[in-house]
Amino acid sequence: MSRSKVYVSSVGFTDIADHWNKSLLDLAVEASRSALNGWSKKKPDQIIVGNMFSAVGARQEHLGAIVTAGLGLMGTPAFKVEAACSSGGSAFNVGYNLVRSGAIESALIVGVEKMRDLEPEEVSQALAMAESAEYTQFVGATFAALNGLLARYYMEQLGVTRDELSSIPVIDHANAVNAKHAQFRKAISPEVVGRSQMIADPLRLFDCAPVGDGAAAVLLANDSAVSGSKRRMAEVLGGKISTNDFSIYERDDMLDFKSTRMAFKGAMQEAGLAPGKLSLVEIHDAFSVVGALSLEAMGFSKRGHGSKDAKAGKYSPESELPINTFGGLKARGHPVGATGVYQIAEAYLQLTDQAGKNQVEGAKYAATQNIGGVDTTSAVHVFGRAA
Amino acid sequence: MEIQHWRIRDRYYRLVGSKCMQCGAEFFPPVYTCKKCGSEKIKDKEMPKTGRILAYTILHEPLPGFEAQAPFYLAIVKLENGAKILTQVVDSPEGSIKTGAKVRATIRRAMVDGDSGQIIYGYKFVVET
Amino acid sequence: MYLMQSKNHAAILGYGAYIPYYRLPTSEIARVWKGGGSGPNVEKAVAAADEDTVTMAIEAARGAMKMSGTERLGAVFVGTESKPYAVKPTSTIVAQALGQHHTLAADIEFACKAGTEAMQIVTGLVGSGMIDAGLAIGMDTAQGRPGDDLEYTAASGGAAFVIGKQSKNAVAVIDCSTSYVSDTGDFWRRAHERYPRHLSRFTGEPAYFFHIESAVNTLFEETGHKPSDFKYAVFHQPNPRFPVEVATRLGFTMDQIKTGLLNPLIGNTYAGSSPIGLAAVLDEAQPGDRILLASFGSGAGSDAFCLEVEDGITRTRGVNPTVKSMMERSTRIDYATYSKFRDKLEK
Repeated sequence: MSRSKVYVSSVGFTDIADHWNKSLLDLAVEASRSALNGWSKKKPDQIIVGNMFSAVGARQEHLGAIVTAGLGLMGTPAFKVEAACSSGGSAFNVGYNLVRSGAIESALIVGVEKMRDLEPEEVSQALAMAESAEYTQFVGATFAALNGLLARYYMEQLGVTRDELSSIPVIDHANAVNAKHAQFRKAISPEVVGRSQMIADPLRLFDCAPVGDGAAAVLLANDSAVSGSKRRMAEVLGGKISTNDFSIYERDDMLDFKSTRMAFKGAMQEAGLAPGKLSLVEIHDAFSVVGALSLEAMGFSKRGHGSKDAKAGKYSPESELPINTFGGLKARGHPVGATGVYQIAEAYLQLTDQAGKNQVEGAKYAATQNIGGVDTTSAVHVFGRAA
Repeated sequence: MEIQHWRIRDRYYRLVGSKCMQCGAEFFPPVYTCKKCGSEKIKDKEMPKTGRILAYTILHEPLPGFEAQAPFYLAIVKLENGAKILTQVVDSPEGSIKTGAKVRATIRRAMVDGDSGQIIYGYKFVVET
Repeated sequence: MYLMQSKNHAAILGYGAYIPYYRLPTSEIARVWKGGGSGPNVEKAVAAADEDTVTMAIEAARGAMKMSGTERLGAVFVGTESKPYAVKPTSTIVAQALGQHHTLAADIEFACKAGTEAMQIVTGLVGSGMIDAGLAIGMDTAQGRPGDDLEYTAASGGAAFVIGKQSKNAVAVIDCSTSYVSDTGDFWRRAHERYPRHLSRFTGEPAYFFHIESAVNTLFEETGHKPSDFKYAVFHQPNPRFPVEVATRLGFTMDQIKTGLLNPLIGNTYAGSSPIGLAAVLDEAQPGDRILLASFGSGAGSDAFCLEVEDGITRTRGVNPTVKSMMERSTRIDYATYSKFRDKLEK
């Protein structure tokens, strides 16, 4: 069955911040217009919104339709895709497959999340919906607490130190210094991470991605839709979603991010690429330990060595495989349903030489990894330069 | 909320989980499909009430509704039948809540809906001393 | 004439006690309210924020069921004055937790004698042959008004008893009992009030002493027993002094009451008070020992029981933690923590 080539032809995104003066819809329209303005056709065949908890955060569902109407594109098929924090990557995957199959020629993917209208404990409750209501929320466990348990298990079982765990947040913050859209643009030291406020022992404030608002949009298009265009584009070479046992404690091996492992393998296979060919990877470090385990699951580090390798410089900007080139979840930010699309927009910037001071020289291939829950869902995509 | 929890009160009060009638594996929380062999032949089974701590953390900012209980210890406990359960560990001597500690189930207030709403009871664990 | 004896004898088949982990020294209460000193008791047991009469009753009931090996209960009665719900029985939650549905279930209120009242009722149901076995629980998370004298002693805890048909395998047979009541308002709580009120000296002679002596003397007269016939005597213990005084008046010695006298270290567990004293006695008693149990509930009344320990008591050792071990498994808290745990702070 012949499949269309699929391109990311244009992107748009808001800064990630506490947007007191912008609503969920304001953010979504802003990012969408920014992406659509770079495209002559202006009317995508499909609109897909990635978002996790608009029902709780804004008492709003039916996001596909409301964003479509906001853009004046009534008549366009539209719906929301929800997969907790992997809503963005999952929404993109749906659009990618629709274009790839030839069913449509173009799709606008918008990831958006408005978190700051909620009080901190309400945000906790909203995020906790990624986990079992009846057995995880029931014991009062926040999402951070689950990751705290994972971090303790990781450190005790595999001999990882507090200092080593701090490495990925340090890389993130260094990379965000020159990222205009990033939420936190100050470099930090490992000591700062290790001394920050305890959230869920052993995870501290600086091990955890922040709360923020933002929207990111990308335009997917096939050859026909971009014909005649002189724009620089990235090509989507592969994309896979995988799922795992729902709760971390239901797994035989809690330290095996099987979802990410399978999604990465599948996406790379589809792309026909060996892992060593990647020029950069945007990983889902909602918590430092999750970043480490993601790197291990994708095979870039041995078991137990994700943080250790980061500390040794294996993932810094000058290395063979820079990670989180604009700050990752910790420093660029993590408006949950939007994150997956931010990662893809950033990969696009790298592969079209638009990354400014954050440019990975000669970047040829990029991967993005976006998870929901504690690697319960994992959406991995692989990109290359468009020919 | 009352009804969602009422429906599974036996699971909360008596740790009723699942047993696969095909391969014998036992699970808590309950399952629809056996995680070991994939069978759908699943029956209710009460879990053993003792186990050991695999990992723990201390939570200072719990979910809304749990403030009265904070700070509290959360742990993943491996029960004697191999099932792993997420639970609070309460009322135990200083330093006793750690990886490897032996714990047993008790019953406590899990969630309280203000001054006029219902009280949801459920399992928590205590270090055996 | 006034003695109650069931046609078929009923017996305690199993028992379980519960004392929470936390202790508040009375010196802490006195520090806050009087600038020093202490209360009549050394310390009292305090339920944690996530405990209540329901959770403690279930824990005690589980111990009693484990010891008795009973599978079917025909009655579950919880005697308490600190029900979490004014309307919604504690006993149905206990029944659900024990997997019992074809059963009578209700909560009993008679201040500190609600637990023994439950024992009387279950004894009657078993003795009449209406049921084979039932559960009687006395449990409380009693509260005193902040700064009030009763705050020193008002404590959390109690015990549960599975009562069924008498046999050699039973723990202790309930030989006979009697009850004496009158309308005497020594201590009370109006329907929507948070804390009780009480009179002071009046709670002694006209209340505690009069009713216990009436019930116990009736029991002595009608059975022909005298104090020396009993190995142990357990009285309701609102403070360390009253049970010693009433024991002396009735002719009992310190030796007879010391095993069941727990108030100095755990305070007054209200409906749980004499039941948990009985549990402490049963932890040590030997076959053939005779026990007097006399509760007192404000409002007011007293239940007096004559129990005789059966051979079956020897199989009960080690099945559950002893009352002594529960008293030892403890940690001290301060007044602020206690106020938070027992929700006494206005928000």
